[in-house]
Amino acid sequence: MLTEVLDPELSISIMDLGLVYGTAISEGNARIELTFTATACPCMDFIKEDIRDRLLRESWIQKVHIEEVWDPPWTTDRITPAGRQALKKLGVGA
Amino acid sequence: MTGGKHSSDPPPFARHILSLADTKRILGIRYSDWLLGAPSIETGIAASAMAQDEWGHARLLYSMLKDFGFDPFEVEHERPAARYYSAPALDEPLEDWAGVVAAVAVVDRALEVALESLSSGSFELAQSRIPKMLAEEEFHRSFGDAWFRRLSDAGGEGRKRLESHVGAMLPSTLAWLAPEDGAYAELVSEGLVRSAAEVRDRFDQGFAHLAGAIDIEAAAVEPDRSGWDEMRRRGPGAPAEEAVERARGDRNRALFVE
Repeated sequence: MLTEVLDPELSISIMDLGLVYGTAISEGNARIELTFTATACPCMDFIKEDIRDRLLRESWIQKVHIEEVWDPPWTTDRITPAGRQALKKLGVGA
Repeated sequence: MTGGKHSSDPPPFARHILSLADTKRILGIRYSDWLLGAPSIETGIAASAMAQDEWGHARLLYSMLKDFGFDPFEVEHERPAARYYSAPALDEPLEDWAGVVAAVAVVDRALEVALESLSSGSFELAQSRIPKMLAEEEFHRSFGDAWFRRLSDAGGEGRKRLESHVGAMLPSTLAWLAPEDGAYAELVSEGLVRSAAEVRDRFDQGFAHLAGAIDIEAAAVEPDRSGWDEMRRRGPGAPAEEAVERARGDRNRALFVE
């Protein structure tokens, strides 16, 4: 599901960017551990909102809790091969 | 708030975090003033990027205060200038680009040393959040150092102004970085931060190569502790009200949305 949530600036999945550090779903409650590429990422609120919107489209999810995490710090090493390919198409090296 | 202790004063560790957060917030404002008017478009964009980082760091630091029972919104948006804990070197706007370069070299570097000190201590939230901030600070340091070298090597007016700004910023910033008061000693004894002597030494080690370029011996500079207010964790004065109005977002208060 979260592969459908895109970084608004790059139009690449947040999973491929390596922003999701953990997920857990129990009794209708989804818990997401999320980081950002920068401490002042201007898209923080949009990304959180998009995660909530996407997960709550599932009838079996009633609540979404997003925890902002910074450990370990995000680096480009976390981008998946698919993410690198997508960035390359956009002319961005990573 | 003026000197003296009040019942509403935050405890020493909260004051320490506030001091770092407020300094970053005001530094971000001082950088943002030079988005336009920097020596080139590229340097203006760099100033903008640094301002963005400083505000991101301030936000993360303010949110740490939740652990001490503070409401981050109140802390960020409700305090008057007189309750700011920021480094005195940033109280007034940076008057020219040499002032920005001096602020990166002196104040931003002092912040980096202070953050590293905090992340080396026993406060877990700092251990998990500060490494990302320090990674982002690497760019500030290399940008500031390159400009410092450029101005010092060029000589003439650029070097003269740089010397003047560094000379004005160093003493109060050294006092701010390494307080010699009971509150800071308490933090050291609790294992939350490095000792004042250690942070001063780390600052000197990092800054010596630049200071030498303008004939200053970093380790010989005396901190200016005159008028030190332990409760505000800084010397006299306060950031200019105009900067604090911007930091609080006063003009857009009616537009704040969740």
